[in-house]
Amino acid sequence: MIVADQLVKVFPGVRALDGASLRLEAGSVHALLGENGAGKSTLIKILTGVQRPDQGRLLIGGEAVTLRSPTEAAQAGIGAVHQERNLIPAFSVAENIALQRLPIRRGLVDRAHMRAEARRILGLLDVDLDPDVRVDRLSVAQRQLVEIAKALYGESRVLLLDEPTASVSPAEAELLFTVVRKLADSGAGVLFVSHKLEEVFAICDTVTVLRDGRTVLDAEPIADHARDDLIDLMVGRSREALSFPPRPPATQPAVLELDRISTAAGHREVSLSVRPGEIVGLYGLVGSGRSELAKALLGLEPIESGSVRVRGKNVVIKDVRQALAKHRIGYVTENRKEEGLFLDQPVSRNIAVTVWGRIAGALGHVSPAREGELVSMWVDRLGIKLASSRQLAGQLSGGNQQKVSLAKWLAAETEILIIDEPTVGIDVRTKGAFHELIWGLAADGMAILLITSDLAEMITLADRVLVMRDFRIRGELDNDHHYDRTSQAVIRLIHSKEI
Amino acid sequence: MSTRKPLFGLLGLIVVLVVVFGTLSPAFFDERLVLFPLLRDIAIYTVVGLAQMVVLSIGHMNLAVGRMAAFSAMFMGLSYDRLHLPLYAGLCIGLLAGAAIGAFTGWIIARTGVNSFVVTLAMDFALLGLIPVVYTALTANAAFTVKPDGMRELRQYSLGDVCLGNVCGSPAVPQMMLLAVAPMLALGYLYHGTRPGRELLLTGSNPLAAELSGIPTRRRVVTAHLLSGLLAGLAGFMLAVATGSFRATIGEEFLLPSFLGAILGGTAMAGGVVSVIGTFLGTSLTLVIRRGLELVGIGLEYLNVYLGVILLLALSADRFLQRRGVKS
Ligand SMILES: Nc1ncnc2c1ncn2[C@@H]1O[C@H](COP(=O)(O)OP(=O)(O)OP(=O)(O)O)[C@@H](O)[C@H]1O
Ligand SMILES: [Mg+2]
Repeated sequence: MIVADQLVKVFPGVRALDGASLRLEAGSVHALLGENGAGKSTLIKILTGVQRPDQGRLLIGGEAVTLRSPTEAAQAGIGAVHQERNLIPAFSVAENIALQRLPIRRGLVDRAHMRAEARRILGLLDVDLDPDVRVDRLSVAQRQLVEIAKALYGESRVLLLDEPTASVSPAEAELLFTVVRKLADSGAGVLFVSHKLEEVFAICDTVTVLRDGRTVLDAEPIADHARDDLIDLMVGRSREALSFPPRPPATQPAVLELDRISTAAGHREVSLSVRPGEIVGLYGLVGSGRSELAKALLGLEPIESGSVRVRGKNVVIKDVRQALAKHRIGYVTENRKEEGLFLDQPVSRNIAVTVWGRIAGALGHVSPAREGELVSMWVDRLGIKLASSRQLAGQLSGGNQQKVSLAKWLAAETEILIIDEPTVGIDVRTKGAFHELIWGLAADGMAILLITSDLAEMITLADRVLVMRDFRIRGELDNDHHYDRTSQAVIRLIHSKEI
Repeated sequence: MSTRKPLFGLLGLIVVLVVVFGTLSPAFFDERLVLFPLLRDIAIYTVVGLAQMVVLSIGHMNLAVGRMAAFSAMFMGLSYDRLHLPLYAGLCIGLLAGAAIGAFTGWIIARTGVNSFVVTLAMDFALLGLIPVVYTALTANAAFTVKPDGMRELRQYSLGDVCLGNVCGSPAVPQMMLLAVAPMLALGYLYHGTRPGRELLLTGSNPLAAELSGIPTRRRVVTAHLLSGLLAGLAGFMLAVATGSFRATIGEEFLLPSFLGAILGGTAMAGGVVSVIGTFLGTSLTLVIRRGLELVGIGLEYLNVYLGVILLLALSADRFLQRRGVKS
């Protein structure tokens, strides 16, 4: 029903699309796969009229069309959920859903109709949300659902989803999949972008793979391909097997200890400790209080009782600067767009911000050469795809932005690192490389507190897993890196009865 | 990156306008009567623009630039009149006063988290009340008219009076220009080459991410407002020297030009992007237009209309660039 034919899109310094084609059929869920920066989001932006291709054609129902704006795309029945959030926080759920085509009656917005429509679509999605509540009161996952409702508003026949599950809990992802299946069964065409191959295999019928802006696998049934074949196609060569050489058990005394911490955010009696060379996992569902704990530890939220010990000494950490300069603690934030990046600043500054303290000379002079050297080293080590380090961070693809926000803290060379959801939106190969990197950091003696909602990631990396629910630690497990056994134990802890 | 190109545009525009005005009215090139005072004004208002630019860099604004200049100039007048201090000692005292009032303003903003618009507006009112009271109590006709040694020379001398052997500078360029060049160099270095400068920009770009990257954002808020007060004080001094007295009304006309110069020059209202050279060029452009229109005989009442229109256009361009940045 919708065909993209040999699209080319050039940005200064990169060919984001270089002969990309896509055939989306009605009634099917179609996977669009590719590494970070392969051009997936750019393709979606072209299909929704946000950007215009430099070459190539778009066909809808066999006819060539030009989409000049998202409104035109919506009129053609194409709705999309973009990788970056696009809701207006101060508006209500209903207003956000109807925003692109407000129902007008006698020159005024027909609020009753708008609300009814919003409720109908939310009902379709089986989502129990009050259409009048303001969006800034919702959780990340709930906002995601509102975005989908927004994309469906006004009878969209084509739904494009750019990494919709990157930051939602497994249960919420399940809900989403049910909705997607239902839509496809009712005759809609759904394009699904994700770096989580398990999901892709679970819900998609057909698959297209992009590599460096070019289509290398064109709309084939997904059942014909094995997981590893697809990965090889994305990467363009066979991968080396990842190796995680065993690390010696951490025996040194803990460098970071929390002792019965209670916070204003609601944590009660949280205790944990991390030794040098150890990766301690903090697992829990979205909203269980893990990021808030990290923030309280860094002085961003008040701690009401209990004590924090760093290298055996009781400390009160005032802010991130002090944590970095005095205690050598770093915190890689979860939310890259709001908390991690300076989107309108060059990549170099985004990475170097944590090292200025170390390399600045008299009067705070920063040597450009020294800075450039550090930046290009981390760009290389993480394989960040960019035109130049003077490029603005906001121009990178989503996954590459994520890498920049991690690079910043790796460059800081801390001894204790709190990492919050490091691989959200990162492609399979890079994810492996990240895991290797984190593993290597621990092997070199870094103490790591890893917060992740990705159970597989947790089980690959962590030595011990602490499970948090409702702002309390519910239990601790030694991790033997056996997925089945550990995952069951973790899930059991999460759903255990109140103690 | 996108800050570089507009500069050539500005420079080109200035050159074209100078040629146009020079053709329409050859008096435009008169060194003593037009160019010298024009360049002196450019020097003064460049510093005014810089005073606004430093707070714009963190995404704030300073509506009290003019009154801070007056506050600072008041201390200078006092030190000449009562303490009989030499010119540059009095300047230092006044600059300290300017820096102090700026830092205090910044501290209030950082402590309370109240919008800079509101706090600087309140500060403007407070100073508006305070300054005339001091002048009425201490002076006969609301101005300190003592002229310390060197003040007349600073006002009148040009680079034509500075000679190396028998090569002299241009008599069209006032020596006071050096008082604008010095802060331009200092700020250029601050923003491009130092840690605090870049931290100011990142604080302006995304305050939350800045805090979470270990930037002491509150301290940077104080830094920016301190610099703003200091620069406002310097501009107040330059204006007082140019007009011959330290009076309560100094700085009354600073507010609009401060935004005009900075924003025309490519400094972003939203913070995170500054241009020192741009502020100089933006200021030059507005003053060239103003002086040129005067010379070709456009009445004062219309002048401000023209300037207002320019500001509006510059602001829309700023918005447009920003929107494009977000989209891509
Ligand atoms: N506005 C822009 N200006 C410059 N380069 C851009 C712009 N938008 C995208 N790019 C570049 O185009 C390439 C493709 O980006 P795109 O966002 O489509 O990747 P993606 O496949 O969605 O990756 P990810 O999985 O990381 O989200 C990247 O190299 C990116 O840096
Ligand atoms: Mg993307």
